Amino acid sequence: MYDILQALINGTFGWGWPDWLIYLISSLVVVTIILVVAPLQMLFFTYYERRVIARMQDRIGPNRVGPEGIWQPIADGVKMFTKEDIVPEAADRIVHFLAPCVVVAPTILMFAVVPWGPGMTPVDLPTSLLFFFAVSSISAVGLMMAGWASNNKFSLLGAMRAVAQMVSYEIPAVLSLIAIVMIVGSLSINSIIEYQAGLLISNRDLPGIPDLGLGWFVFTPVGFVAFIAFFIAALAEGERTPFDIPEADSEIVAGYMTEYSGMKFGLFYLAQYVLNFLLCAITAILFFGGWQGPGVNWLYAQAITPTNPDGNGLFNVLAGALGVFYFLLKTYIFFFVMVWLRGAFPRLRIDQLMDFGWKFLIPLTLANLFSAAVWVAFTRWGAAEGMLITVGWSPVLRWLAAFIITLAINIGVYLWLTQVYAASQAERRRVELEELSATL
Amino acid sequence: MEVVVQITFGVIAVFILVAAAMVVSVRNVIHAALWLIACFFGVGALYMLLEAEFLAVVQVLIYVGAVSVLILFAIMLTRQITGEGVRQLTNRWPVVLAIATLLFATVLAPTLINQQWNVPPAPPLGTPEPIAGPAELGRGFVNEFLIQFQVVGVLLTVALIGAIVIAYEERARRRKVLTLAEELELKRLREQTSPTVPAPVEAEPVVQESRSASER
Amino acid sequence: MLNAVPLPAVLTLAAALFCIGLFGALSRRNLIGVLMGVELMLNAVNINLVAFWRYFEARYITGQTFAIFIIAVAAAEAAVGLAMVIAVYRHYVTVQADEIDRLRG
Repeated sequence: MYDILQALINGTFGWGWPDWLIYLISSLVVVTIILVVAPLQMLFFTYYERRVIARMQDRIGPNRVGPEGIWQPIADGVKMFTKEDIVPEAADRIVHFLAPCVVVAPTILMFAVVPWGPGMTPVDLPTSLLFFFAVSSISAVGLMMAGWASNNKFSLLGAMRAVAQMVSYEIPAVLSLIAIVMIVGSLSINSIIEYQAGLLISNRDLPGIPDLGLGWFVFTPVGFVAFIAFFIAALAEGERTPFDIPEADSEIVAGYMTEYSGMKFGLFYLAQYVLNFLLCAITAILFFGGWQGPGVNWLYAQAITPTNPDGNGLFNVLAGALGVFYFLLKTYIFFFVMVWLRGAFPRLRIDQLMDFGWKFLIPLTLANLFSAAVWVAFTRWGAAEGMLITVGWSPVLRWLAAFIITLAINIGVYLWLTQVYAASQAERRRVELEELSATL
Repeated sequence: MEVVVQITFGVIAVFILVAAAMVVSVRNVIHAALWLIACFFGVGALYMLLEAEFLAVVQVLIYVGAVSVLILFAIMLTRQITGEGVRQLTNRWPVVLAIATLLFATVLAPTLINQQWNVPPAPPLGTPEPIAGPAELGRGFVNEFLIQFQVVGVLLTVALIGAIVIAYEERARRRKVLTLAEELELKRLREQTSPTVPAPVEAEPVVQESRSASER
Repeated sequence: MLNAVPLPAVLTLAAALFCIGLFGALSRRNLIGVLMGVELMLNAVNINLVAFWRYFEARYITGQTFAIFIIAVAAAEAAVGLAMVIAVYRHYVTVQADEIDRLRG
């Protein structure tokens, strides 16, 4: 944004404004865009989810307000605003008030590092991926505050469940990311996206692959396992079915949101859908190339960039539009999968959830980390790093060896883990049945 | 530019100190924990100001995301949730306050301020300065600090296992959560046999409720 | 930062934080309150390390590495400490440090 404004104001118009003013304006513009886009995505997602889930349940869904019910989310928003804001008598007022803010603020902050298209990152931090997950973990504190301040046992139970689930599923999520970070060798989201240029194979792993923007990580064994593990963990972090036990309405009313009404409830709702959007977006970015797609890199090569200052501004717009299109398309497809899972699966129990996370996903992602190390060793290391086997191999051979070995490791570990996990679950059920029959 | 940095530093410093003072003085333990989180944030902001970006993010990830959640969990699991009305400080707190104040006022602050620090002169504004970032840190962890890194890994593993072992409650000692019918049946049995059978020891209810789900 | 704020200012801030943490660790009755005081002290130490790193040898990593090790140790300490608090609570049904005065269980 800063580059474009700089080129536009001082270059095209020649006004010669000082740097700090341009910097201020560009920051304000970016912040405004984020603050407008985030709630709009949430509005769209509520509508999208309700329509899709209705279709799956053989209903029509919201269809009264506007054509095909498209204004339904806005009507809901108006309803939220006009509702009375009730604070329970025994609640801790300040904490009760602060909790929704603490939940919403991190989700908006996370937008700061999400790249929407080529050169369209609000803040390009060198540690942006870590920033994303660090900030996302703050909302656990907000949930805890909400649950405790409401002074309601359902709220407290819901908050405890939500936080336990978020904290335990953060581990497989981050472990599966580390595999990707190891391969890319950078914590910056932008370099992760740039790595995924190519056609089925990243052209960083195998130079010479034509760049169609399709060298996604999901096509490698390491990336595939990381993707599956990360998406499951994302379902748990976003409190989606089958991991929606924190707000299981048939068990604990509405979880930590029980005592909230009016716009505070609306804020929790906002935070949840924005978080879902961000989780889908980060899945698309890390494993499906984000804005990468056929044509984007070609268009962007001719645009105004720091390395190419005398490009054509039109190509900036074209590359940006195409990139945003690919990015949102992927994101919406992932959200569709989330809704699809909601339509297809029943809710897990909390012990099943914990067992699955700790006894299956974490070992799987740890093994995947090992595969990632093997991948790096085979595709990139030479004699200098002590990798003597691959000296003299052609890049194709190296890539093939890495692919086969990591595939073998991952499949082997998966098969072994499923067996162990099933056995442990059966054993546990047997012990529980025995205990039960002993007590009765 | 310097004034902006000074004001930022001042705001962060006041924020950290106020939050820390609230942590040690507030009656309500949950409020103390929330102030502690605010203090962690302030320290993270200070790291950001000191251009230790990676450390700032790690501070938020570990302290705010993990340690404080752990503390909140522990507070909620150990019943006296709010602690309102319970005396929070020991009898000797004036002595401790005097010691802490004296330590700061007579030993630490004068030493730190009067000491001649041979700080190398900062480069003039605008010149890029080589600052170690995450990549250098990572390289350091697998080269010069390899042993220490592995020791910390072992320490974390030991702590993980130790925490589980310490907080583990044996299966047999956990109280079963019964359905209403079972409870009535048990009550009837108890009344029939002897009225003096002591009721099962009441332990913290929250733990049991969260356990109960995993018991079923 | 280097020109605007002198090193002693940062160090004094860290010292003040350390003393507040010390007061909390020594005077709180609640075991969890004691742990929170210890966390404050560890943070103060970390501020010191990062400040020395930034002012003296920003191109080397030693200061930051130390701070990261301390964060890791603090996380381990919090986990074990809070597990002990829960175990103590289960046994004595209190978390007030001065009420736990029996030597035998």
